[in-house]
Formats: sequence, structure tokens, C-alpha cells
Amino acid sequence: MNKNIRISVRQFTVLILLYTIGTTILVIPSSLAVDAKQNAWIAAAAGCLISTAIVGLYIWLGGKLGDRTLIEYVEYVFGKWMSVPLTLLFLFFSFIGSATVLFYIGNFMTTQVMPETPIESIVILFTCIIVMGLLAGLEVLARAAEILMPWFLLLFIVSTFFLIPEIEIEKIQPVTEIGLKPIFKASLSYLGTASLPLFVFLMVFPAFIHDRAKAKKGFLIGNLLGGLFIIVITFLSISILGADFTERNLYPSYALAKKINVGDFIQRVEILMAGMWFITIFFKISFYSYSFVTGLAQLCGIKEYRPLVVPYGILLIVYSLTVYPDVVYMMDFDSTVYIPYILSIALLLPAFILAAGAIKENMSK
Amino acid sequence: MINKLCLIICCLLLLLLLPGCWNRRELNELGIAVGIGIDKVGNNYRVTAQVVNPGEVAMKMGSNRSPVIIYEATGRTVFEALKKMTTNSPRAIYLSHLRILVFGEAMAKEGIQNPLDHFSRDHEVRTDFFIVVAKGNTAKNVLRVLTPLEKIPANSLFLSLDRSQKLWAPTATVTLDQLISDLISEGSNPVLTAIKIFGDGQSHDPENANDIDPRARLYYSGLAVFKADKLIGWLNEKESKGYNYLKDNVKNTVGVQSCPGGGNLSVEVFNTKTSTKGSVVNGKPSIDIRIEAEETIGEVMCQIDLSKTSTITMLEDQLEQNLKGILRQVIDKAQQEWKVDIFGLGEVIHRSNPQAWKSLKQNWNEQFTGMNITVNAEVKIRRVGTVINSFQKKPEE
Repeated sequence: MNKNIRISVRQFTVLILLYTIGTTILVIPSSLAVDAKQNAWIAAAAGCLISTAIVGLYIWLGGKLGDRTLIEYVEYVFGKWMSVPLTLLFLFFSFIGSATVLFYIGNFMTTQVMPETPIESIVILFTCIIVMGLLAGLEVLARAAEILMPWFLLLFIVSTFFLIPEIEIEKIQPVTEIGLKPIFKASLSYLGTASLPLFVFLMVFPAFIHDRAKAKKGFLIGNLLGGLFIIVITFLSISILGADFTERNLYPSYALAKKINVGDFIQRVEILMAGMWFITIFFKISFYSYSFVTGLAQLCGIKEYRPLVVPYGILLIVYSLTVYPDVVYMMDFDSTVYIPYILSIALLLPAFILAAGAIKENMSK
Repeated sequence: MINKLCLIICCLLLLLLLPGCWNRRELNELGIAVGIGIDKVGNNYRVTAQVVNPGEVAMKMGSNRSPVIIYEATGRTVFEALKKMTTNSPRAIYLSHLRILVFGEAMAKEGIQNPLDHFSRDHEVRTDFFIVVAKGNTAKNVLRVLTPLEKIPANSLFLSLDRSQKLWAPTATVTLDQLISDLISEGSNPVLTAIKIFGDGQSHDPENANDIDPRARLYYSGLAVFKADKLIGWLNEKESKGYNYLKDNVKNTVGVQSCPGGGNLSVEVFNTKTSTKGSVVNGKPSIDIRIEAEETIGEVMCQIDLSKTSTITMLEDQLEQNLKGILRQVIDKAQQEWKVDIFGLGEVIHRSNPQAWKSLKQNWNEQFTGMNITVNAEVKIRRVGTVINSFQKKPEE
């Protein structure tokens, strides 16, 4: 690996923020409302708070990594052969992650915007950009995030501003009806979509960041700010569409954008708002993919990951088309299998690595 | 060199995907449906679409062709009927610009739940159109009436409903998402505006729109009451107004008040605010309604001395009684005649006491029937218009 690559703390924070929001913004209001009903926004807030602890764990583990990436560290701790199964678990996780997210965007486009366009064409186009980004490298991706961030902010603020008049506060009442258990259950699906995937950033953090001390703060801030955006979107969905409509909608935030109507003049702008999702989802797939290709390169002992990128892109296209056979399977998988799966990969695995690392340190002393 | 060639080939390949021509929908291939009517024929749904004839609408000098065309098809489901419509329409029916959805009376009595699903599922349909019920008629007949002034009848219906809700009050602008949330809510039943055809004759004759006083006209007449998704009755104008007062939907309306010495005066009502508070005591729900209204004198057709404060106080008193009467009437009708909660008061109870609601919702309509509802009104007359006392003299005796 080329150890001279460096991204700034600000770029890193923006990346974390966009990555947290990607796909979450599109699907989470719905899955939160399934359990927490009109209190979905509280569940989002709870999820956001709990996610601080998870990010704390990643930062702690990051502190042990030093100059190594996660996979190099696993190899250092467990030895050359013992580390292979763990690395494969991680690689599989990032590969599945990028394939499912790619399916999300393809499915969104074919359901809501262009139902007659084959999903393949959308997926192929999107993968082309991902491949371009990966070939350009980490620094370019980070700079792209920095450039696209104001656009995302602009779209978000404009749409929120236009939606404020539509809020009906009765729709979030009664506030205290839903017990703690459903809220906790709902916040788990928040963690599964927004925070636990941040695990892949251990391939970047802290090895490739200029100021490692400040990067820790950036990690936390990016995660909290991203959570804030999601709380706002969930709140708007519930207070404008109502808990039931949010729950039944595949893409509540798109239905929300359809509601924008300022003086019968600014209306039917939802596809502009979809720009927000393209931007954030791009970074989500990019970093899942980045951790996969760099991880694979490190596992195989290849110095340069770039030759792997194009074949990976082709695999990704095919896999994103087969990862979910249909939408109902997707929802079923996401609400049953996915949460235990991501908890074991992104929570238990890092905890295990951390523990093993500590034992090794003690033994060597 | 080879790299450059690859790049060029890639660009050319992207050309296939990027222009987005896959899903292109040319304007002249779309039949823009502005009104959809749904009737039940036997076990099938008859769907009627009012489709814009763009050439006719755009032309400054209209020819004698009708600005809209009616297509209809019958199918086991709404979606099937809509697709089937292409057998008699040269263009595919496009629903994004839908302004009004009409249910025939017979259809509404059977239940409107089933046909609504397609409208909430289809990606083309938005939620900004209004839903109405054809009173004593089929949806098809309503959509066949041509209107003057607005060339597109569905547009005319949409605008007229919007205006009358804002200025006249006894109508309700119910959109799809509202209707669905009323339908599924356990503490509320939906209400839609009723539409009637006045006169008959050759209503679909283009001449109808050319007439200075068209033989057939559409007008809104009060509200239709539903129990769950089935039509069970109608509210007259006064009751509909009461309904809207209760729901805090009144933006502006007119009230007529009799004068002490005979004759009438009318007031313009604006700035009304209704607050509904629910409480549950010993498992018994009750509702407290407070209306605050600001009014101005809009017309005096009697002898009354408006320059005295006492007159104004007296008028305010009478207007308060009047307002309470309007509300009582519709509440009594809902409680005694239909025995269904059309006001969404169940939701008010739900918000105020979620714990008690869990048992109350089991038989909410019965609870509603026996519920104690108190109404309070407070009217303020702020202004009397541009003159103080009317020029009207006492009639010579």
C-alpha cells in the first residue's frame, strides 16, 4: 500500500457524514415507523445517540491500528493464516454492502422514476462512476465529497424549508404512547443502516488521515451530524405524511419531496431532491467498494489495488442484480436477517479483534 | 492510442444509456387524464377518464371540437380498466396531472377502499387531486358535463372546490393521503364533498359550454358521510359548515343573522380557530370544543343601530348562539342518526389519553354516540365595514 496518501480531517468528516446519510435517508423513515409509529423520530434520535458508542468502539480500535489498515492489523494480531477467515468475513460484508446499496438505487429509480427502463442500465451507469472514483483513488474521492457537500446541503435545506408549512403537529402525537421496547427495536434498524456500516472506514481511519488526534473528533462529529439529518427527515415524514403512510411507503422521503408546493409555482421538484440521494449513495457504495478492493489486495499481498477495480465493478453489477430477487425479499431480508448479521460483523467482530489485540499486547510484554 | 480508442468507445456506449430515452414519453403520445370517474357495473369497475385534447385547449381560436374527451373501459380491477382504455383511446392514459377523482353514488355505497389502492400504489399518481362523490348520479355523467369559463371541466371542478372551501366553507378538499389516513384511522371516518348535476339535457354537447346559461351545470352540495369506506348519508349545507367549523377548516364564510326587529344582516366570518380537547374520566370520554371567530358586518337589511356598543354585544351574543346551534346540529346528527364519528374525535381522545384509548377504540363508534360533547363559541365583531349605520329608513307606516 502506498502510505503517502493523506486526506484532511475535514474531508474525512464530510465523508463520514455523507456515508451515514446514504441510503438511510431514503429508507429509514419507513423501517423506523414500522415499530415506533409516530415516535419514529425519537427512535432516530435514540439510534443517533447509541451510534456514538459504536463510533467510540471504532475509534478505540482505530487507536490500536496505528499505521496499519484493519486487515493488516488483523494479520498482525492473528498471524498469517489465522487471519484469513476473519478477513474474508469482512470482505464479504463490504461486498454484500455495496451490492445491496447498488440494488437500492436501481430499485428506487425503476420503481419511482423510470419504471420501463431496465434496472441494468441504471446499475451499470452507477457502477461506471464508482469504478472511476476507485481508479482515481482515495484522495480524489475525499475531494469530491468536499465539493459535493454544499450541493447536498443546499438541496436538503431548501427542501426542508419548503416542507415546514406542511407540518401537522397532531401527527406526531401522542408522543408518549409507544413504549421503550419498540423504540429500541426501531433504533436497531437505524444503527444497522446508518452507523454499523461505518466499520469499513477502519480501512481509511486512522492510517490515511493527516491529523489522527483530530480525526477521532471528526469521526464522532460526522456521525452525529449525519444522524441529525436523518432525525430531521424522519420527523418531516411522520409529521407530514403521518406514521401509517410513512410505514407503508417504500421511499417515504421521495413521497415527502412530492409534497413540496410553494404557491403552485415551486412544485413537482422531487427528482431534484433525489439528487441528495445520488450524492450520498455514491459515497456509500464507493467506500464499501474501496474497503473491499483494498482489503482484497492486502489479503492477496498485491501492492496496488487498482487492477482489481474493473473486474470488481463487473462482479458488482451482476451481484447487485441477484442479491435480492425481488423487493419483498429485500424488505424481509432487511428486517430479519440483516440486523443480526450486521451486529455480528460490525459489532462483535471489532470487539473480538480489539480483545485479541489486547491479549497479544499483554503476551508480548 | 489504444487507451484513447477505449475512451471513445466507452463514451459512445454511454450515449446509449445517458440520454434517458428508454423511458421517454412524448407529449403527443400521452392522454393526460385530468378527471377519473369510477362506477361499479355488476362486479366490474367502470373507469371513465376525462382526457385533455391539447390542441383544442391551446388554440386561441377554438374550433368546434370538445376540449376534453371521455374514454371509458370496464374491468375487474381499476388498473385493468385503465390499461384496457387503450382499446378506444389512441394515447396511453397518463395520471400525473389528475385533478379530480369522482366516485359514483352506487360505488360509494358499496365501499371505496378497493379502487383507491391503485392510486396510492402507482408511481405516476400524485396525492394533490381532490376526491368527490357524485350525488344521485354516476361518476361518468359528472365527467361528461362541459363547463364554460374553464375549458377543462376537471380543472373547473378542482378550482371551484378549492375556492368554495376557502370562501364558502361547506365543502371539503379531501386529497388521497387524507382520505386514506381517515379510512385506516380507528378514531375517524372519512367525509367527501358531494357533487350534483343541475339540469340535464345534452350535457356533453359542446354547445353546453357555449351557452350563456348552460343547460347542465355541476355544483357542490354539502358533504357525503362514510362509515369506514361505505357511503351512509349526506350532510346539508348548514351541517357541512358545522362539520368544517369543528374540523377547523373554515377560512372564510358568511353567516346570516336575523335582526331584533325583523329582517336580516349578514356577517363575514374570518380568523376562526377551533380547539378540540379530549379527556377521559372513569373510562368515559368527553370532548370540549371551543370556537373563536372574528367577524365583520357585511350587509345590513334591517333597522339596527350599529353605533352603540350594546348592539354589538347583543349581536355577538346571538352570533355565538347561532354558531353553537350550527355545531350542535351536525354533532347531533352524527351521534343520533348515523352513530359514526366523522369528526376524528377518536383521534383527539387518542392524543389526549393513549392508555384509555386502547380500550375505547374497541367500540369507538358506540362510545362516540353516547359521548358528552360541549361546545363553546366566542365571537368578536371587529369592524362594521365602510359605513356605520345603514342608509335604510324605517318603512313608512
